[in-house]
Formats: sequence, C-alpha cells, structure tokens
Amino acid sequence: MRFYFRYILYFAFAATVVSCKKPYNPPAIALAGSYLVVEGVINSGSDSTFIKLSKTVKLSNATVTNPVVGAVVSVQGDQNSAYPLTEAAKGYYVSPGLNLNSSHTYRLSIKTSNEKYYSDYVPVLNSPPIDSLSFKIIDTGLTVYSATHDPSNTIKYYRWDFQETWIIHPIFSSEFISNGDTVLLRTEKQNVYTCWRTDTSSIIVLGSSAKLAKGVIFDNPVTSLGHSSAKVANEYSIQVRQYALTPEAYTFWTNLKKNTEQLGSIFDAQPSQINGNIHSANDPSEPVIGYISVGSTASQRLFITAKQLPSWPPPYPNEDYPHGDCMSTIALYTYYPKGSTIPVNQVNEYINYNKGATNPLIPYLPIENPGGPLLGFEAVAPICADCTLQKGATNKQPAYWKF
Amino acid sequence: MRKTYLFSFCFLFFLQVAAAQQSKLLSVNFQQATIGQVVNDIESKSGYHFYYDQTSFDSLKVTLQVNDKPLETILDMVFKNTDFHYAITPQQQVFLTKGRQIKTELAPGFLTTTTANVSKPVSTVADYTDERDKKVAEATTENKVYEIGIKTNSIPPGNATLSGYVRDIKSGEAVVGASIYVVNTKTGVATDNFGYFTLSLPRGRHILNVRGIGMRDTRRQIVLYTNGKLNIEMQEQVNSLKEVKISADKVANVRSVELGVTRLDIKNIKQIPTAFGEADVLKVVLTLPGVTSVGEATTGFNVRGGAADENLILLDGATIYNPAHFFGFFAAFNPDIVKDIELYKSSIPEKFGGRLSSVLEITNREGNKKIFTGSAGIGLLTSRLNVEGPIVKDRTSFIFGARTTYSDWLLHLLPQAYKNSSASFNDANLDISHQINDKNNIYLSSYISNDKFRLNSDTTYAYSNKSIILKWKHNFSTKLFSLISGGYDHYNYSISSTANPVNGYDLSSNIGQANFKTDFTYYASSKHTVNFGLSSILYTNNAGSFEPDGVKSLVVPQVIATEQALESALYLGDKYDINTNLSISGGVRLNIFNYLGPQIVNTYAPNLPKEPDNVLDSTAYPSGKIIKTYISPDIRLSARYLLNDDLSIKAGYNTLHQFLHLLTNSTSISPTDVYKLSDPNIKPEYGDQVSLGIFKNAAANTIEMSIEGYYKRMRNYLDYRSGAVLILNEHIEQAVIVDEGKAYGVEFLIKKTAGKLNGWFSYTYSRTLLRQNDPNAGELINGGAWYPSNWDKPNAFNFTGNYKFTHRYSISLDIAYSTGRPITLPIAQYEYAGSERVFYSDRNQYRIPDYFRSDFSINIDGNHKVHQKTHNSWTVGVYNITGRQNAYSTFFTEQGGVISGYKLSIFATPIPFINYNIRF
Repeated sequence: MRFYFRYILYFAFAATVVSCKKPYNPPAIALAGSYLVVEGVINSGSDSTFIKLSKTVKLSNATVTNPVVGAVVSVQGDQNSAYPLTEAAKGYYVSPGLNLNSSHTYRLSIKTSNEKYYSDYVPVLNSPPIDSLSFKIIDTGLTVYSATHDPSNTIKYYRWDFQETWIIHPIFSSEFISNGDTVLLRTEKQNVYTCWRTDTSSIIVLGSSAKLAKGVIFDNPVTSLGHSSAKVANEYSIQVRQYALTPEAYTFWTNLKKNTEQLGSIFDAQPSQINGNIHSANDPSEPVIGYISVGSTASQRLFITAKQLPSWPPPYPNEDYPHGDCMSTIALYTYYPKGSTIPVNQVNEYINYNKGATNPLIPYLPIENPGGPLLGFEAVAPICADCTLQKGATNKQPAYWKF
Repeated sequence: MRKTYLFSFCFLFFLQVAAAQQSKLLSVNFQQATIGQVVNDIESKSGYHFYYDQTSFDSLKVTLQVNDKPLETILDMVFKNTDFHYAITPQQQVFLTKGRQIKTELAPGFLTTTTANVSKPVSTVADYTDERDKKVAEATTENKVYEIGIKTNSIPPGNATLSGYVRDIKSGEAVVGASIYVVNTKTGVATDNFGYFTLSLPRGRHILNVRGIGMRDTRRQIVLYTNGKLNIEMQEQVNSLKEVKISADKVANVRSVELGVTRLDIKNIKQIPTAFGEADVLKVVLTLPGVTSVGEATTGFNVRGGAADENLILLDGATIYNPAHFFGFFAAFNPDIVKDIELYKSSIPEKFGGRLSSVLEITNREGNKKIFTGSAGIGLLTSRLNVEGPIVKDRTSFIFGARTTYSDWLLHLLPQAYKNSSASFNDANLDISHQINDKNNIYLSSYISNDKFRLNSDTTYAYSNKSIILKWKHNFSTKLFSLISGGYDHYNYSISSTANPVNGYDLSSNIGQANFKTDFTYYASSKHTVNFGLSSILYTNNAGSFEPDGVKSLVVPQVIATEQALESALYLGDKYDINTNLSISGGVRLNIFNYLGPQIVNTYAPNLPKEPDNVLDSTAYPSGKIIKTYISPDIRLSARYLLNDDLSIKAGYNTLHQFLHLLTNSTSISPTDVYKLSDPNIKPEYGDQVSLGIFKNAAANTIEMSIEGYYKRMRNYLDYRSGAVLILNEHIEQAVIVDEGKAYGVEFLIKKTAGKLNGWFSYTYSRTLLRQNDPNAGELINGGAWYPSNWDKPNAFNFTGNYKFTHRYSISLDIAYSTGRPITLPIAQYEYAGSERVFYSDRNQYRIPDYFRSDFSINIDGNHKVHQKTHNSWTVGVYNITGRQNAYSTFFTEQGGVISGYKLSIFATPIPFINYNIRF
C-alpha cells in the first residue's frame, strides 16, 4: 500500500484580493427625453394633500430639481367629484383637507402645457395608528423601529417616511459677534452654538405583514444611525409617518427601492423597469414616474438623548463638521509694526465686514492679559462656529422639542 | 459447449489421478483444487517442474476436467480469466507468475513473435474469443501479431468485429477516449466511458495505432479471422507530466461525425492557472469557443447563447443541479477524482435530452484495481483526502474522495460589508466498480456536496446536492452491449433568519429526480452503429416552504404545493458510414412529459395576460392524475464528408426540449433559485440549431483547426416581468413572460497538441437576442423589439498555452477577452421620496466594459526518476497579471441623497500564488 501526501503552500496577497467597489461613470448617455415625475399621496383625511411635479434631468446635470410649473392639477372621484389643487410653490401643488369618502375611488388629473396625464383610480386606504416607536443599541450605533397592527387585518403593506431633528454644536463656541464695525458680546437670540437641524428621509422604508397570520408589524427597522453620527451626539428626535399601501403600490415602491437603493451586492438582480399608475392620455407608451395612493396617514415622534446611549467615542469629526475645515484658528490683534506709527488692525481686517473684512471670520475667544485690556480675538471660519450655516439647521427651538 | 469456471463456491474436492499419455498429453480432473494440488498432480504425470510463489496463488481454486491435452492448453484453461501467467522453458521448467509474465524463448501459443525485450517489464494482453477456448494473454508487444478469432488456413473475405477494453496497465483503469486507428483502412474509433471499443474491419492483417491521453502511444498487430476480442493495456507516459493533450483522438477532430464536442483530460485542467491554485474543472470549460462565463468567480456558464440552466451537468450519469461551492467560487467537483470532462454543444447525442444548450459530462476515475493508493492535500481553502484500491484484486475497486473547507479567514479579508460572514462547504465521492465477469460490469457512484454560508447578516444560506447511481454494463456479444442505470439525484436549499423573533423564518426548497435509463449500442455492421434506449425521470419538485423559526415567530407556514412530473424518452440513432468519405449520424428522440397531480392549476382567459384578474377557473387534480402531456419529438442529425485525409466538412441539425426551468432574476446561479416544471401554463422551452463546420488537421495531426458556425432559435424562453417575485410564488406563470430567442455565431479554434509549445486559442463571434412582442403578455419589453440577452457577448477570445523548456520547466499562459455583457443603464435622474433616483434605459441597451484577464504560471518539476521517495513540484503564478478591474457588476445606488455609479470587481488585482506539491 502506498500513500501520497501532498502539502500545498500558498502565498497570496489576499488582503487586496477578493472584491472591490469602484466608482463607475459610463460615457455620456444620450437622453431620449425628459419624463414627468409625480410624487405625493392624496390625503383622504383632514390633512393637506401635497403633489410634487417635476421632470427628469440628464444624469450629467448637477442639479436634479426641475419643477413643472403652471400645471392644472386636481383630484377626481369616480363619481365625478373634483378637487382642484393650487400651486403653492414651484412645482408643489396643494389642497387643504379633502375629507374623501372611503367607499369611493379617486385619481389624480394633471394638465401640463402640452399633455394630459391621469393616474388610475385608487381605493382609499387609511393607515392604522403607529403603536410604538422604539430603538435598540446595536454594534454600530442604534436602530429605530416602528410597530403597528391592523385589527381588521385588511392592510398588509406599509410605507414609512420620517423627519429627523437633532441638536448640533459647532467645534467652537463663540460668545462674540461683529456688527460689521465692532465686536460685541452675543445675545441669547444670536446664539449660534446650539442649533436644531432637520432632515427628511431619503430612503424608502417598507414593511409587510402579508405572510403573517395577523396584520402585525413588529419592530420594523425605520432607520439606523452610526455611533459617530452627530445626530446622536446630543439630543435627537424622529417623527415617523406611516402610509398604508395596496399590493400594487407596495410592488411599485419595492421596485423603486430595489432599483435605486438595494443594488450592489454579489447576489442582486439587475434593475428592471419601474411602472407606476400614471399614464399619458395620448401616448400610453410615454414613461411617467410615480405612484398615486389615496389615504390618511398616521405619525408618531420619538426622542433620544445621549444619556440613554452608551458613551460612544466623541462625535468629531462627523458628517456635519469634517475636522479638516476647522483645523486652523487665527489670533487677531491691533498692533504697530516695527518702525511704523500706523496701527494694523487685524480685527477689522478679518472680522468687521464694514471695515475691510471680505470673508469675515467669527471671533470666539478674547485675547487679554490677566486683568489687562482686550488685545484681540481668536477667530475661526464661520462654518466652524456658526451652526445655522448647516443645511436645515436653525437656532430657534422647535415647538415640539421636549427636552 | 465447454464452459469452464475457475471460481466456484462448491466445497467438494477430489482429485483423480489419470494416467499420463506418452508424449505430453495429459488428462486431469480437478475439483476446487489448490495450486499445490494442481502442480503436484501435473508434476506426477509429466516431466515438468513448476516454480511459483505459493502465497500469490492462495486465492486460486481450480475445477477442470480435461483429457489428452498438451500442458499449454491445460494451463490456458486453468488460468483463464485470471491474472496468473505461465511460461514453459525447453528444459521443462514451468514458471507461474502473477500479474507479469516471464518471457522465455519459446513463446506460448505457437505464435510467431519477434524477440521481445526481456529486460523491460511489460504488460500482458489478453487475447480471447467467445467462440473457442481462449488463448491466454501474451507478453505485450507491439511487434507480436495477435490472432483474433478462430484461426483458419485461408482468410475468407468480409468483415469481422473486433472489440475489447483499453486499460491502464498500472491501475487497471479504463482509458476513456483512447483512439484506435486502423492504418490500412484509415478508420478509427474511440473508447467509450468504460474504455470499451468495437470496430468492424475487413478480415486479415491490420495494424492498430492506439493513443490515449497521458498514455504512451502504442500499436498492435492483429490477424482478424472471425469476430473476437483484444484487450489493450497502455502505459502511462511518465516523462511528460505537463504535456497538454487536448484530445486523445488526434484524428477525431477531422474524422468524427460530431460537431461542437470537446473532451478535456484532468491533466489539461490542472495546467490552467486558477485564482487560488485549486484546479477547477468548470473554469477550463470557459476557455472553449462558444462558452462564456456568467461572471467572474461564478461557475455558471452560457453555451451558444443559452442560459445557465440550459446546461445538463452529469457526473457519472447523475444530474448535478448546483455545480458550485462557496458563492460559485469553486466547482463542486473534486479534481483528484475527476478523470475527464466532455462538452457537447452542437451534436448532442440522442441519448441526452431535457436541456436546450449543452451537455457537460464529467467522468470520475475508476479506483485502482491493482494496488491501494491515496493522497492527502492541504490547500489554501480546502483540505482533501482520497483513497482508492482494489477490494478484489483486478475485479472490484473503490475510490473515495472528500474535500472540506476552512475558508472563513478569506471572508474576513473581504470588504467590511462581509466581515461577519462565514462559509463552509464539503463534498465527497464514493465510487465502486466491479467486474462480474468478462461480459458484466457494475458501477456504483455516489456523490454529496454541502454548502452553508452567511453573509454579513443573520441570514444563513445552505444548499446540498446528493446523487447515487448504479450502472450495469452487459455485453450480449461483441456487437451488442447495453448499459442499464438507475439512480436518484436530489438538490435542496434553505435560507433561515432569526434576526427578528416575530419574523423568524426558514425558507427551503428541494428537487429530486429518480432516473431509470437503458442504453443499447449495436454494431450492426462495419457501416452501421445503432444506438437505442429509453429513459425516464420522475421529478418531485418542492419549490418552496416558508416556516416559522423560533417560538415567537408569527410566520404562517406557507408551502408551495409539490409538483410531480414524469419525463420519458425513447431514442434511436444510427451512425452510417456510407463510404470512407461520407458518414452520417441521425437520431430521433421522442420526449414525453407528463405533468402529474396532485395539483391545483389555474386556467386563464385566452389572449389576456396571465394575471390574477384573468383567472377563469382553478382546477384541483387528484394524485397521480396526468394533468398535461407534452409529446415532443427531437431530431439529431450530423454528417461528415472527408475531403481528404486531414480535411473534412461537417453539418448538423438538432432540436431540443426543456421541461425544467430555473427561475432566477439574477444573472448568475445563486443558491436561492427556484425550479419550475413545465405545466399547462408554462410550455416547454424549445430550441433548434443548425451548424456547419470545417475541420482541418496539419503537421501530422498535431495542429487541429476548425471553423464552426451555428444558428439557433429558441421558443417559450422564460424572462421575467419587471419586479417579479419568484420565491414562494404559487403562480409562477404570473411572474414570467414568454420570449422568443435567436442566437448565431461563428467559432474559430486552433489547437496544437504536441511539441514544446502546445495549447489552443479560440475566437468566437456570436449574438443572442430575445424578443417579447406578444401584446397579450401584459408587458412588452423594449416595445417588442429584439433585445440582447444578459449573456450576449459578441466577441470572445481565449488563449491557453504551455511552453516546455525542458521536461522539468514549463510556463503556462492564459488570456481571456470578451465583450462586456449588456446592462440596463440609468439614463435620467429625478427626485423622489427625499432622494435623487435614476430612471433606467430599455432593457439591456448598454454594455459593461470589456473583460480581459491574463494568468501566468511557471511549473517546475523535481527530477523525473520514477523510483524515489518523494516527488515534488512547484507552481508559481499570477492570476490576472495586469490587475485589470473587470466589472463583475455595475450598479447605481443612492448614498446620502446623491446617485453614484459603482463597478464591483472581483479578483481585481494581480494574485500571486505559489504551490508546492510533495508526494511520498
């Protein structure tokens, strides 16, 4: 009997081996046309109905916003009722509470400058209330969950969107402000160290109880926050809004989510066409993006403070304040250069915008000898001390803020 | 009729001493005699003296009664069908040996032989006939003339049949695909999967040239009197371990009737550099013309425009549903066990059916029938062990192979997203072959593979293949033989998740098939070879069950009703050699598919899309009821015309039906795929193909060239509606749309099979287009126009080469190029639901960047002394030398409200590897 033993040694620089994800920008893609995009829900309750009309733009466009203005928009019932919407802002069409009859079906009618569009007639689906919002600590941060149930067991499909508000602090706390001519102490109203920043959801959150025996949605994840996120560094609030969906609407949203959020892993399917329920009156083959649902919504708010969370590492740098931008501070004085009798006023030069400062900095710390006179200020770039400069941030406390 | 069995289980024993005749005619009567008794008896009756090793003969029991025969005849009878040999010297010495024969000056059998090389231990060749007492095996030699059949003084005109086995002298294994070429008549045959051949020849003297993959070329001289047998043993070619031989049959390229058939030996396969140095039997298939990969790091492949599920993958006759391990990174076939593979992409023999594009036949080795051997290996990702050896020497052997993995460390090197992943897989083969007697062989093959892995989530995927098959080969005569097989194949997958206690689930599915098959081959005459048989497959498909996992789970169990169907086929084919230049092969295959109850089947309103709203009626059928029968005949035709000795033209036409569909919304075979049988609402897929080829050999058959063109039509091809849900869908017909397809292409191949530089390169131009233009289908894809399929890659180029500096040093180079596959690109962007999103183009209107990869390796062998304690070799190589970041997939995704395009590449840097092998 003979046996062969084989030993195989390998050296593989495996750390860089297996898979990598790189940006991919295919050659300019000629665009066949610009298609109508309809977004919104016909609110059957007492809340307002918002419909947003826009058109698609080329991928190479820097701005995506392309509102459709001057359209004639109305909600039409299957029994010839009609409720016109008015254009409240560019591309935003609004109607106050419609209080629609739940036993009827409704559609959206849109008349742009050169074409008419109609959605399919859609039944009214009112959302049950949200039972609870909760959060759980996970390895990477926290996840917010929502729960609901439909006692009548008729609603199986849900969508959620949300609005988050959180307190932000810049790296530097400034107690001084320039009125253009001179530097003064900040008042309470001029506070720029504490802001409430608000953002709306950019992900599609869907849930289904179709495979369960009861119409129960238990702890469906709504959003996850990393522990380095500035959102959870101080105080955080999230308002979750819940929509009930028909199976067709659920399919549309699932498809939209798949196409734009869920691709990229090894096992994913290739994208497919998205078919909404809005059609051109004259050319059925013209793509129209969007799905119109009719129904009331439910909402609930959750508050989380840093005290409820583990002591995660300090939040800087973070997406609100990338560290690099605020590395350098500058000390500004008024002084006499050697051999000169004309003073150089750096405070005017860099801070007081009426006296020469072109890109004014924000003074945050006085420079003075102990008990002596004020010599100058430490100053930083505005973004590093003024929280109101962040997108969606205000230094006025929202009415609902309960902390 | 004298039939003498040497092995009997009767325990009677008596010895009758008969008087010895004067010269050397002896009479003996043995009943269960041992060798000692036989020798004593003969020595007592004659002047002969025997020399032998008692222990070698302890298994021999002799039962024989003979009157007045010479000693040679008696010994021929005594040792018939055994591995024992004798030699008689003029000094009346008789040497009895096992396995090898001692050469003496006087060759037994009164045959004319030239002087044999005594110092060379050589194999024996059995030379027996059915019709009369056989002559026992002779010392092999190429110069000896073997007499086949009943010797007559004058040889009558006409043909006789020669058949037999070609075996490896060392291991006793069958040499598959060895070519036997008859010099005088310029005809040839190749041995089948069992090493068996049959050849019809004019009676008289012939020279047979025998060639086998990795074997030393040999030849036999015969005089063919009547039908008879010749077993040929070949020696392994020891000094050229790294030789690339594409096909055993050097003349087959030009002379065979088939088009689009490629056979590759495991030695070729092991020579091709792979990512982690693990030989992969499926990766090499991708280097052949007409075959393209579904994607890098997958083993799904497309043959001439067919989908990945249109390939029938057979492992020793068992259907393997998922041929991949570990997300498709490895083929699920153990390279230590596999002997060779054969891919049919055009001339699919009529004995195969049920798939539209190709048949990939993987053949495992037979266990060594002479000695126990084994090997064990420790690799980067896998460990393996295989053991083989005789159970009964020369008659029964087994081979066992197993592999397992410890690949978790590799997963931890994957990007962050896969950090918490785990994966394990294993596979095992156990094959037993047994020779009952000269006419009957049985083979038992079994296979199991398991995979279990978890991506960075709480979701666990698992899948498993299991197969067992028993084959019985029976030779009725030298002209008719049969292969009867029965077996069972099973595939299952499951996904489970307990991340959310209320939604904890276990989703699983499985498909099983019980097979029965008979294949008969009848060598009717020198001009006709007839194949016929029948096969039947009973499918049991559980397309999905969704069960709660965990006590808190509220999941409602949902089980897709079990589907059953019987796929049967009758076939008949004939290979007709009209004259030396023209051969045709024609066959018909009648497929009968019965969709069986119990089942609930929807009836849809005619001319309306198959949607829930259009269900007219729902009928429940009882168990065993035939719900729907599809009877679909297939035609297989091919013809070859020999323009001259090394140039031929071939044409073929075939039709195929497929009743089993793999539903996947992804471009690769992922383990979550769902199988679906044809039913009243989903018709069988149909394809037909016409092909034409020119085949040319040059430089003494060492260069093979071919050009093949094909045009293929497909009907009832399944594509999916946008956003189709395929898992747990009780009404799959509502999720699919029926396309028609067409594929065409031309394939160029040049192979060099000998010399310092050998290898092949291939270039293929091909297109695969689909169309959905039925207004009643509910959804027109791309407005009903032809659109490229996911695997439409017009230009594909492959080079695989090996250059041998010396017998010890060689280099291998692989180059692969293909057009990028089509994708659906975003063409516009818009704001929706708080984010920028993209609008996609028509289906498959754009392409990903072209694919290019080159691999290089240097092979260094230790010295080639046959008898030494250790044999070692090095392979040093780089996979993807240029480090090209080939796109595995491209996708556009939203991050932080901005849409960005990404390209996912796998194996995107040069991957160096060193392989050190030592055997002792």
